[in-house]
Amino acid sequence: MRISELPEIGTKYEIESPKGDKVAVIFLTTGEIALYVLEAGAEKPSVTRLTAEEARRVGSVLTGAMLTIEHEDVEVSFSEISDLRINIHICPVTKYVIGKSIEDLAIRKKTGVTIIAVSRRGQSIISPPPEMVLEEGDLIVVIGEHEQIRACAREILGIK
Amino acid sequence: MTFLLDLAIVTVSCLALGLASKYLRQAAIPAYIIAGIILGKSGFDFITSYEFVEWLGKIGVILLMFYIGHEFNFKGIKEPGRVFAGCTDFFVNFIAGFSLGLVIGLSLLEAFILASAVYISSSAIVISSLIENKRLIYPEAETVVWLMVFEDIILAILLVVLTSIMSGSLAMIPVSLATTLLFIVFILVLIGRLSNFISPLFERDDEIPILLIFALIFGFSALAPRLLDISLQALAPLLGISLQFHISEVIVAFFLGSALSGVKSFRKLFGATISFKNLFLTIFFFSFGMLFQFQFETLSSAYFVLALTALITISILGKFVSGALIGKRLHGSLETGLRVGAYTTPRGEFSIVLLAVVIGMETGNYELLLSLVVAYVIILSLIGSFFAKHGDMIGKAIMAGINKLL
Repeated sequence: MRISELPEIGTKYEIESPKGDKVAVIFLTTGEIALYVLEAGAEKPSVTRLTAEEARRVGSVLTGAMLTIEHEDVEVSFSEISDLRINIHICPVTKYVIGKSIEDLAIRKKTGVTIIAVSRRGQSIISPPPEMVLEEGDLIVVIGEHEQIRACAREILGIK
Repeated sequence: MTFLLDLAIVTVSCLALGLASKYLRQAAIPAYIIAGIILGKSGFDFITSYEFVEWLGKIGVILLMFYIGHEFNFKGIKEPGRVFAGCTDFFVNFIAGFSLGLVIGLSLLEAFILASAVYISSSAIVISSLIENKRLIYPEAETVVWLMVFEDIILAILLVVLTSIMSGSLAMIPVSLATTLLFIVFILVLIGRLSNFISPLFERDDEIPILLIFALIFGFSALAPRLLDISLQALAPLLGISLQFHISEVIVAFFLGSALSGVKSFRKLFGATISFKNLFLTIFFFSFGMLFQFQFETLSSAYFVLALTALITISILGKFVSGALIGKRLHGSLETGLRVGAYTTPRGEFSIVLLAVVIGMETGNYELLLSLVVAYVIILSLIGSFFAKHGDMIGKAIMAGINKLL
């Protein structure tokens, strides 16, 4: 990784793969992020300009932070508290948890993840009580950090 | 309410021509100058108070220099070959401009001013063209950006040298440089000392931060030259000689900008000053065009056309030669160097600013030089943007030509 300051333009981060492909990320002074990809031997680079929000999404895909589950994953951030990122994730219940109550599963104790809602037959139950028993077809909505959600999916739900 | 009418004329005409130039994907600087020429003294003479518009324009120059001082980043000088690149760019193009100035019959001083205008590329055009034409991933983009930084340093030095020549004699140059240097140290130390006090003021949400910044800019650039004058007079009996020395306001603004870049909380506010800079600098280009004494006989004379053509040819060639040398040394490739040459061809704001600061806009003695540089900047900003846009094709075409010849 090469980092260089380009006065009046921004900061450039550049990586060259062993094949000779180049990727450069340039944080422009305008606040936008330019993403360059130059394949080895190609005449011209492909370039896109991203907003800070879009760039973060691309970034979290690249770091593998998003879970490889079919269902949606939402990240919420606040302009007031810039370092606070809440990941809300929707997981289908699996055979490992069906028939158990939220209290029995002790998800928060084991992984730090909190269940904030359960969607059952099209109806959402927000802040479900600990004694609630999960049924087949439920969707659980959880919040936590990327790593915690990943641990929850792996250890509790048994999703690889 | 005539001032309002003047403001309306300036902003509406610049908006219209500026939009047209953006639409045609051309540099906007010549559009603003042309708007000034059409509506000003040489054209329809629509402006009521030339002085008023000129003042506003001068604020633009001060803000531009403040901006450059702030963005000025010297760290890059440590990378290999950088000093070589900067010096090659300077010597090749400055000498080319200077010799041509003498050949076409300018005085030594005029040739010096012309050479400075020829040397300095337009950072505004060059940098926006690098971004828009998607060149930032190539290593030569860094070299080009560095050249722009190096040119800023040289611009500051040229301004000091030229203003001291204009106000005194050649013998004053070392004194001027030394005094300016002392002065910079003074500003840097002062800002450093004050930073604990001013830093929290920049973080407020009301009008205080923007007031503070303009108070600093105007305060320093107005008071500094006077302060220097007084202290030089006070020193005169001690030294036994009386020193006449003038430090340019724009130089003060430049160093104030670079001193403030060290104050962290200023960063947020900097965006606001950029907006002011953009507005007033546009008015400056207009005011430059509006005061320009356009004389058709001079401009259409065979001598003038010949001189201008030679100047443009030499300027383009100069950048390609310096670019080729730089490319060969830094990137090991002649073709890359030719691209550097193409990217740095546009001339613009600095050539005009230099002229305005050094000789003012309304002096009769420099008529030929003024006309020459105005026509030069208008043409080269257009040709230059074209070159910068098609740098890779031009580089390839020249390489093909060279290979055929060999």
